[in-house]
Amino acid sequence: MRLKPLIAVAAATATLLSMGACGNSSSSSSSDSNGKVTLTMWHNSTTGDGKAYYEGVAKAFEKKYPNVTIKIQAIQDEDFKGKIQTALQDPNSAPDIFFQRGGQEMQNMVDADQLMDLTDVISSDVKTSVGSAIDAGTIGDKVYAIPFTVTPGGMWYSKDLFKKAGIDKTPTTMAELKTDITKLKDAGIAPVALGAKDAWPAAHWWYWSALRECSTDTFNAAMKSKKFDDACWNRAGKDVQSIQKLGAFNDGYLTTSAQQGANSSAGLLANHKAAMELMGAWEPGVVKDLTADKKDMSDLGYFQFPAVDGGEGDAKALMGGADSFSVYKTAPKKEAGEFLNFLMTKENQEAWVKAFSAPPANKDAQSTVTGEALKEALNAYNTSSSYSMWLDTLFGTNVGNALNASVVNMLAGKGTPADITKAATDAAAKG
Amino acid sequence: MEMSVAGKDAGKATSGRRQKKKLVPDKWRKGFEITVLSAPAIIIFLAFVILPVVMAAYYGFFQWKGYGSPSVNGKFAGFQNYITILQDPQFQQAVWHNGFVVVMSLVVQGPLAIIFALLINVKMKGRALIRTLIFVPYVVSEVIVGTGWSLLLQSKGAVNDLLSKIGLKGADWIADPKIAIWTLLFVISWKYLGFAVILMLAGMQSIPEELYEAARVDGASFWQQQWKITLPLLGPTIRLWAFLSIIGSLQLFDLVYIIWGQYVSATAGTSTMATYMVLEGRGAGNYGYGSAVAVILFIISLVIAMVYQKFVLNRDLEGAITDEKSEKKRARKEAKAAAKAAKAEQAEGSAVAARSAQ
Repeated sequence: MRLKPLIAVAAATATLLSMGACGNSSSSSSSDSNGKVTLTMWHNSTTGDGKAYYEGVAKAFEKKYPNVTIKIQAIQDEDFKGKIQTALQDPNSAPDIFFQRGGQEMQNMVDADQLMDLTDVISSDVKTSVGSAIDAGTIGDKVYAIPFTVTPGGMWYSKDLFKKAGIDKTPTTMAELKTDITKLKDAGIAPVALGAKDAWPAAHWWYWSALRECSTDTFNAAMKSKKFDDACWNRAGKDVQSIQKLGAFNDGYLTTSAQQGANSSAGLLANHKAAMELMGAWEPGVVKDLTADKKDMSDLGYFQFPAVDGGEGDAKALMGGADSFSVYKTAPKKEAGEFLNFLMTKENQEAWVKAFSAPPANKDAQSTVTGEALKEALNAYNTSSSYSMWLDTLFGTNVGNALNASVVNMLAGKGTPADITKAATDAAAKG
Repeated sequence: MEMSVAGKDAGKATSGRRQKKKLVPDKWRKGFEITVLSAPAIIIFLAFVILPVVMAAYYGFFQWKGYGSPSVNGKFAGFQNYITILQDPQFQQAVWHNGFVVVMSLVVQGPLAIIFALLINVKMKGRALIRTLIFVPYVVSEVIVGTGWSLLLQSKGAVNDLLSKIGLKGADWIADPKIAIWTLLFVISWKYLGFAVILMLAGMQSIPEELYEAARVDGASFWQQQWKITLPLLGPTIRLWAFLSIIGSLQLFDLVYIIWGQYVSATAGTSTMATYMVLEGRGAGNYGYGSAVAVILFIISLVIAMVYQKFVLNRDLEGAITDEKSEKKRARKEAKAAAKAAKAEQAEGSAVAARSAQ
């Protein structure tokens, strides 16, 4: 009698296995005997011009290479990381070409042997055109991702609101910034928009303060060792605290998201409900979608994160991201390479700038950048003394998320500056 | 479990009528039928419930980033993940928040639901409309409820605006750590009260009208009727609702995730075990660690469910399950009761005898 359930289980397992076997027959990329190749591509631009740009490029590529079909899938950025990670676990579900941010996550993909070495796939023309930005996609001496945009961060502000508060010059030091914040408050304007619900926008304040507080050597050493013993890290936390104590951030910033809707921090800036926001160079594009008429914000300006009084860091050091495309290891090498090189041509990068209002990685296409704010950000990038990746990208989500959440905690009054670096150390124990 | 029970019954049945010798014994044939017929259900259960649990338990022993396989790209950590979780103040807080929601949901929703159900159960105009209205929040999806309330309750939202119009000063309902958990409780109650009311209402309608008639004849007041008839006979419904409520509270995720987001929920004091799991597992890319959290959440839910079934739901399930064990147990119980009765009778008898002897 007792055997019955066992038999049932055995039968069930057998069926399951056979079901699993069925699943193996499909494949994401395929090439048949006629030399026809299908490439799948995942990117994170789900709306408007950005989505149309990729569809247009794919069509143009298919016209030039009739044997290749490109299947595009646009995935919401918030979902992207989880989806790509799951998809990469199985060669059958992995897209051939996909968006990625580099840093520790790319290192993890390389460790798991999921990425194609693109060193000899990317043409030398493309390599020259992006210059040092390719470092973001390079591990050791191998290129695993080709950056298509660089997004240096900084302060994006409304010139009108600054004028209204009687500020005629953008601040270059923390003291000046604080004065301006007070002026804005006195004029009844929320000085700084902050989307702390998403955590990373709040953490950016700490990253930048640390970049200005810590000497380049200390900063770079900590990037490798993930140890934050130097006193400058605590000073960075105190800097952020002092800004918060001025009442600089918009009301309810803890439950404000970064980019979703008019109530988000980018929306507040777009609609002149707050005077400035600390963000990456995607800001003009994001703000554009959130203005009432969906047109560029006409009075948008940019200035670099101010120098910290008594800080050891370089005032011209810059931080930002570099968004790239990687190729799955078993993808059709020749065709995938051709497509990447096609994406990176001057012509297509210029089209990219038009669609995204953000800086391209191809330096030849930089001249198409319009908008004063973006031009200034690009100028800051070209003249920066060093370019660090966002700390959460650099450290990977484990330590990065812990850092971000602990900055939020500090802003809510539930933690101290010292807790931020402690959180990073604690997080290391979880992964 | 049920399979073996059925098989046993089948065995009994066949032994009763073994007239002809068949090529395939009835016993086998029935067993085969049962296997084939229950296979789809068992397969789905195994594939989507048991297998993930087993896999999570396996992953939970590794420090693994979710790339490649845990044995190659991860590091075997034994019980270290579990130790780290249980020592993490963030997790302890999340457990505390879950416990708060479990208890307070029962305390708040239970009495309210019964009162609402009583009121709606009385015949009156617009009863159907009120019923629908009370049930609407339950039908609306969690995401919409969460988004709606988070917009209303923002520091510059509609609720505070309304309050200021009548001269009251609102609070930061969502972000203030002292208030946030009560806000959460309010939204949960608002959302799930309708479900409780409908359950109670269904329970009340299965109570025979004759009982109330008899009570009225005996001169019982309305409240006496409810207290002496409705409540006791509603027992099984209440116990079942409480069970569903407890399990739901333990797994609470979507409302918190929508209103607070995964990062701020811990800061605002509304994190739950499930949001902790998503934050530390998928969010942080620590798939091994996250799996270990899932296992702990599973064990906590399982233990509470088992204990509740054993001690509370037990009497409602009696008679529903007729396996050998409980049958034997009942027989023993009955025998005991009989023996007790006999003893009492005997004692009484001897007392009577003693009395008569006096």
